[in-house]
Amino acid sequence: MLEIFVLTEHRQGQIRDITFEMLTKGRDLAEKAGADLTAVVLGKDVREHAKTLSEYAKKVLLVEDKRLENFNSEVYKKVLSDLINKHKPLLIMIGHTSFGVDLAPSLAAALKLPLASDCINIEFEGATLLITRQMYGGKVNVKATVRKVGCYIVTVRQAAFSVQKLSMNGEIIEKSSSLTEEITSKRFIKYVSPPLSGVDITAADVLVGVGRGIKDESNIPAVEELARSLGGVLACSRPIVDKGWLPNDRQVGTSGKIVKPKLYIALGISGAFQHVLGMKSSDLIIAVNKDPNAPVFNFSDYGVVEDLFKLVSPLKNKICELKGHKI
Amino acid sequence: MHFELDEEQKEIKRAVKEFCEKEFTPELALEFDEKEEFPTELYKKAAKLGFTSMRIHEDYDGQGYGLLEDCIVVEEMCRVDPGLGAAVSLGNLMVPDILLKHGTEEQKKKYIPPLAKGDAISAAAFSEPEHGSDITRMDTTAAKSGNEWIINGSKEFITNAPLADVFIVLCQTDPNVTPSHRGQSIFIMEKVTPGLEATKLKGKMGIRPCITGSLSLSDVKVNENNVVGELNKGFYYTLALFDETRITVAAQAVGMAQGAFERAFQYAKTRKQFGSPIIKFQGISFKLADMAVKIEAARMLTHKAAWLFDQGRLDPMATSMAKVFAGRVAMEVTDEAIQIYGGYGYLADYHVERFHRCAKITEIYEGTSEMQKLTIINQLLKRM
Amino acid sequence: MDVIVCVKHVPETAEAEIKIDSTGKAVEKIGLVFDINESDDYALEEAIRIKEKLGGTVTALTVGSGDADSTLRKCLARGADQAIRLTDVKFNGSDSYATAKILHSAIKGLSFDLILTGALASDDGYTMVGPILAELLGIPHATMVKNIEFSDDVVKVNRELEGGVEEIVEVKLPVALSVQTGINEPRYVSILGIKKAMRKEIKVLGLVDIDLSENDVGEAGSWIVIEKMFVPPVEKQTEFIKGTPEEVAAKIAEIIKSRGLM
Ligand SMILES: Cc1cc2nc3c(=O)[nH]c(=O)nc-3n(C[C@H](O)[C@H](O)[C@H](O)COP(=O)(O)OP(=O)(O)OC[C@H]3O[C@@H](n4cnc5c(N)ncnc54)[C@H](O)[C@@H]3O)c2cc1C
Ligand SMILES: Cc1cc2nc3c(=O)[nH]c(=O)nc-3n(C[C@H](O)[C@H](O)[C@H](O)COP(=O)(O)OP(=O)(O)OC[C@H]3O[C@@H](n4cnc5c(N)ncnc54)[C@H](O)[C@@H]3O)c2cc1C
Repeated sequence: MLEIFVLTEHRQGQIRDITFEMLTKGRDLAEKAGADLTAVVLGKDVREHAKTLSEYAKKVLLVEDKRLENFNSEVYKKVLSDLINKHKPLLIMIGHTSFGVDLAPSLAAALKLPLASDCINIEFEGATLLITRQMYGGKVNVKATVRKVGCYIVTVRQAAFSVQKLSMNGEIIEKSSSLTEEITSKRFIKYVSPPLSGVDITAADVLVGVGRGIKDESNIPAVEELARSLGGVLACSRPIVDKGWLPNDRQVGTSGKIVKPKLYIALGISGAFQHVLGMKSSDLIIAVNKDPNAPVFNFSDYGVVEDLFKLVSPLKNKICELKGHKI
Repeated sequence: MHFELDEEQKEIKRAVKEFCEKEFTPELALEFDEKEEFPTELYKKAAKLGFTSMRIHEDYDGQGYGLLEDCIVVEEMCRVDPGLGAAVSLGNLMVPDILLKHGTEEQKKKYIPPLAKGDAISAAAFSEPEHGSDITRMDTTAAKSGNEWIINGSKEFITNAPLADVFIVLCQTDPNVTPSHRGQSIFIMEKVTPGLEATKLKGKMGIRPCITGSLSLSDVKVNENNVVGELNKGFYYTLALFDETRITVAAQAVGMAQGAFERAFQYAKTRKQFGSPIIKFQGISFKLADMAVKIEAARMLTHKAAWLFDQGRLDPMATSMAKVFAGRVAMEVTDEAIQIYGGYGYLADYHVERFHRCAKITEIYEGTSEMQKLTIINQLLKRM
Repeated sequence: MDVIVCVKHVPETAEAEIKIDSTGKAVEKIGLVFDINESDDYALEEAIRIKEKLGGTVTALTVGSGDADSTLRKCLARGADQAIRLTDVKFNGSDSYATAKILHSAIKGLSFDLILTGALASDDGYTMVGPILAELLGIPHATMVKNIEFSDDVVKVNRELEGGVEEIVEVKLPVALSVQTGINEPRYVSILGIKKAMRKEIKVLGLVDIDLSENDVGEAGSWIVIEKMFVPPVEKQTEFIKGTPEEVAAKIAEIIKSRGLM
């Protein structure tokens, strides 16, 4: 029986959402291809995870080993290679996450299997794998074919697929770990959380997000005033943190915070998916960007094509006026 | 004939462009234009990267390039912002040039490296309240007393005067000789010299981040070693100096014109009236075409003058042609840029009015446009 | 420490208008401004800082056409000691697998302790070159690197995970690290740097100079072949607000108010 593998991503006792997103899409693909959907979970004391996964997949392959406690691409590569060689699945789905991008490329190169990264859609046309992915910061999509071999690896973009639960009651199959000698080339040490500045953007009802369009650190205060006039706080895209203009706990996006405020105003943010994933569930999104083709307009309720600097102060004034404050 | 920058010159242009576009932000430009303050930090940053010492020899911590490379840098700085660009590029004006040509080794070692590295600022004082275009006689006098000179007088419109660490001052050392310009000498002096006082001039039309001041000299005593070059050669040194530095003023003009042009061009593509972008109207697009032609012509003249200089074939006529033409082009292009912006162009926030205000200086300092024409006609009369 | 840094010459596209060209498989390159890829810029800076701290050399490598020399020259001007450009018409259409193979064939003959790449290329976004290259060389790797510390024969690196968390892993040298943006503050090119760079030669290698065949590179040697390019569908129908800034501000304020957010 053909199989589709979904690699379970878990960290500190939690299965990460991407796993369920891949399982949902994987089931769809498996049905069409007449294949079985198999969740693969590697770890230490992850029997509970296997149980959870069994509701989403036909089979769960469980490998436990204390050396699999924390993610380590070298260790994962070894164990997963052995599983793949044995099962010869049609497709291996791995999250396009920090773990996934550390693992998938070297796994693919080691096994000489083609890899398509950061997919937002995956289809089979006969035996041909067709994937959709984005280029140029989300400004264009491409449809691409993957070299034909009969066994493919894909990494899947987060939140590209929504989750549907089904009571599959899949079979849990325990496999013994194929690890023999210690892998010493790469060792996990610990998790760290960078220090926080004390502002919790996930708790705010109103966020004003600024991006690279803000151009200079000296423009931050004016936007901060706008945020304050709305009783909100200032958030930002990644480059603003990279430049050190705002502390890292103000960053919205996959490597920052996921926020769901009642209002998100995006100023000078292009709308790269890593950012959008952090804010697209906001109740109301208003984007201001001078580029009419900025991807952010694909996710906004309201858009303004304008130089943000021309808008910030009139907007603040109008808001103060409507609130009955003096300007 | 070779009409292209070479690879190295292109790299220089790219480096200074990247620096200026990141550092000379429109907000800083507006702020310094309003405050009329010198952008010390930007000057130091630019200097550390070598952008302000292009023409200074490597032995004195400069970059050892020619005037053409300096023009590339100056143009680019003034393209990004005319005020910040002029201020930063003039931070160490003229003192290194004059010392490199006429200074003693001791003077060069002492004064040039700090100027090259951006640790010091310099000023060059020629103009006086009563003598601007005509500096054949200076009212500032230097009288010998023992091994010292005692200097009295006042200078007007001196760039950097209130900030400068080191000055060169053109003085009348022999009041009786005829013609009087044969009795002039250049002195070098430091800020701390007793009797030397500078006052900041406020309310300039443009290049407001570039600080201008008047200088008063009252019984200023300097050692005879502070004479630059030979006694009574100051006037000749000054003329030769301007033949060189004027080319960089032409480069300022080209940069200012280019900056205003680029803004106007982008604006014309996006501004819609009567249902179409205004660039679709020939009344606007022909303006832009004319602007582009003028800028290119001005740049060619400037590069040619710089190239001649770098070949050791300084040609005062080429220099003056470049300066007078580029200065006019800067005025015309920045004016048209405002016109293309319409009412918005009249507002500071849209920047082009600042380009226009700044551009005017290039027709005035380091010899007015009229003086350039005098040079041109005198040269033509000699040659034809 | 001898460091190799792999860089890519890419168009700036955040603010530029992107048009799909007549082949329908690529974007129109005319009018786009190219420069060093953003995360590669950080990788380059990191390489130079490592050299300044620990001594050694920095070699910059790129796969690209003649235009990419300007990115290599930037590397040299910022402090790299030598630069190599791998170029051949046969390389056209290479995905990051083929690119990694090309880089590998050039790197395997060089001596190095550390390879740095950017985390991802801002044009194709594959996020793969670094770790594939490592695998081909048989050395370990780490991606999404936000901090690097050296001790003896290992490096301790912080890897960025989702949600603002990082993990620290220890990896044995020689190692390939893919550097994430924000790891440092890239310096400007100085005039002195340009002068030095102009004295250094950019070595150019083609397919004949490396031990790969036509089938290993370009589309033939790639995993991924682009079939078509298209404008992304909109997820939400954005309503565009038009008018002067004052009018727009008034409309936005009204919308916000009507949602009870004041
Ligand atoms: C692993 C990984 C994780 C990442 N995680 C995150 C994350 O968590 N969060 C995040 O934000 N990014 C993240 N990124 C980065 C992401 O890919 C983008 O690079 C980033 O979001 C771009 O930020 P931006 O929109 O501010 O800048 P840009 O893409 O440079 O866009 C700037 C925008 O401003 C507009 N603009 C410029 N001037 C003006 C003006 N005067 N008025 C109006 N508009 C103007 C431009 O048109 C442009 O659209 C991550 C990247 C990687 C590789
Ligand atoms: C911002 C600024 C910075 C300056 N920086 C310096 C500096 O650092 N050092 C320094 O020494 N000076 C400096 N100057 C002075 C500048 O060089 C003089 O202003 C300039 O040379 C003109 O002199 P003037 O102002 O006395 O005008 P005048 O010489 O009085 O000229 C007035 C008008 O008459 C015209 N004119 C004069 N003679 C003739 C003629 N024979 N034929 C036709 N037309 C003629 C002039 O062209 C001009 O249009 C600076 C000036 C400014 C405004």
